[in-house]
Amino acid sequence: MSTAVNRPRWTRQLAGLIRKDLRLELRTKETVVAMVLFAIVTLTIMQFGFGTRDDDLTRFTGGLMWVTLAFTAVLGVGRSYVAEREQRVLDGILVSPVPRVVLLAAKAIAIVIYMAITELVVIPVVGIFFVKGPYWDSIGWIALVALIANVCIALSGTLFSGLALFTRARDLILPVLFLPALVPVIIAGAGATHAVVGGPHDMSDYRGYCLFLVGYAILFLLVCIATYDAVFDD
Amino acid sequence: MSARGVGHVYGERVAVADVHLDVAAGERVAIAGPNGAGKSTLLRMVATLLRSGTGTLTVLGEELPGGARRARCGIGYLAHDPLAYLDLSPRQNLRVYADLFGVQDADRRIDDLLDRVDLIARADDPVRVLSRGMAQRLALARMLLHGPRLLLLDEPHASLDAAGTALLDAELAAMHSDGRAAVIVTHEVERIASVADRLVVMRRGRIVVDERVAGRGPAQVRARFEECIA
Repeated sequence: MSTAVNRPRWTRQLAGLIRKDLRLELRTKETVVAMVLFAIVTLTIMQFGFGTRDDDLTRFTGGLMWVTLAFTAVLGVGRSYVAEREQRVLDGILVSPVPRVVLLAAKAIAIVIYMAITELVVIPVVGIFFVKGPYWDSIGWIALVALIANVCIALSGTLFSGLALFTRARDLILPVLFLPALVPVIIAGAGATHAVVGGPHDMSDYRGYCLFLVGYAILFLLVCIATYDAVFDD
Repeated sequence: MSARGVGHVYGERVAVADVHLDVAAGERVAIAGPNGAGKSTLLRMVATLLRSGTGTLTVLGEELPGGARRARCGIGYLAHDPLAYLDLSPRQNLRVYADLFGVQDADRRIDDLLDRVDLIARADDPVRVLSRGMAQRLALARMLLHGPRLLLLDEPHASLDAAGTALLDAELAAMHSDGRAAVIVTHEVERIASVADRLVVMRRGRIVVDERVAGRGPAQVRARFEECIA
């Protein structure tokens, strides 16, 4: 039986893998729902844990938001290969002619989407819980830094989840590797948020933190391209 | 495919050592041996899922690991597991693989295959609710989806139902004429006479016998196999 097979285009492979991840998520709703609930619970605990109703936590908004998002990212990234691992599909994917960096890109884009959905809830909740004074005018700036930070989180997270995939203690190894790698993202995300909410409204500070995040994303992109073949094929 | 002195080590345990094996176009080779003989490890190396630590391995004219991506375009791999997402339907699973392998006219091809493996009526149910036999028939469809030139089958009859077994045997029988090759790892020694041209017996990671079985009956093949592993 002969079938028309061309050398597969990576764009089609990438689109197919992203479509697959989103279909799985739409059907199971396991990752995004868990991330959103986890973030809300964490913010609620912080709201009770830091001060009383009358305390003004506006200047801590950036830190509270990005610590919450970092822990939420660990949860989401930790689930990124669950279907492949638990349903033992990985061999089927790896025996196909898909470049390993396309696997990375597909997982990273899925994580960016999951994080963005989570932030659609987290960013307003942070405003309601912690901010006294103007907040909603700065939503666009917060969304922009969140978008850049999501790319950072997705690239580093996909690399570390790929590494952890082949270890026995993967549930321990992933946070141990991934959270320290997120510290620069937390610092820059919190710094950029502070620059526009509760801080000096210094846009040069904001730009600096965003550029730092772009640099982080480029660095991790290069590391991923250099190592992802070895992660899966060695 | 051609293996020249290939080997693989798990930690300190030698799984495959100094294997020399050639499989020509149109040839069907059965690999048998006791548990832990290295059969599945060798198959996974040919499937590009494991790297050989020694020697050279050439698959579909591509030397591994450098040519692995090109070789993968022509490999069909059937494993113990169906390699399917349980929360997607058979149609959606095949669509994923069609995208990965660059299959043209994918929708028609997927429908044809689902019809051939008698899953068209369950094409949109999640794989999770299918029986084991149905899931393995889906695996058969997945393996054939891109028209591979080299089939690698790990215990293919173990979880196939009667319909799947008949389809697989027909596929293997047709391979002589269209020049495709197959490597079949199996414990079902009696089947070898009907599905393979050659018997390779492995023991402790090495090939101890490599001979033609064409014209022999199941009992003769079984007797020869037991003689080899005694």
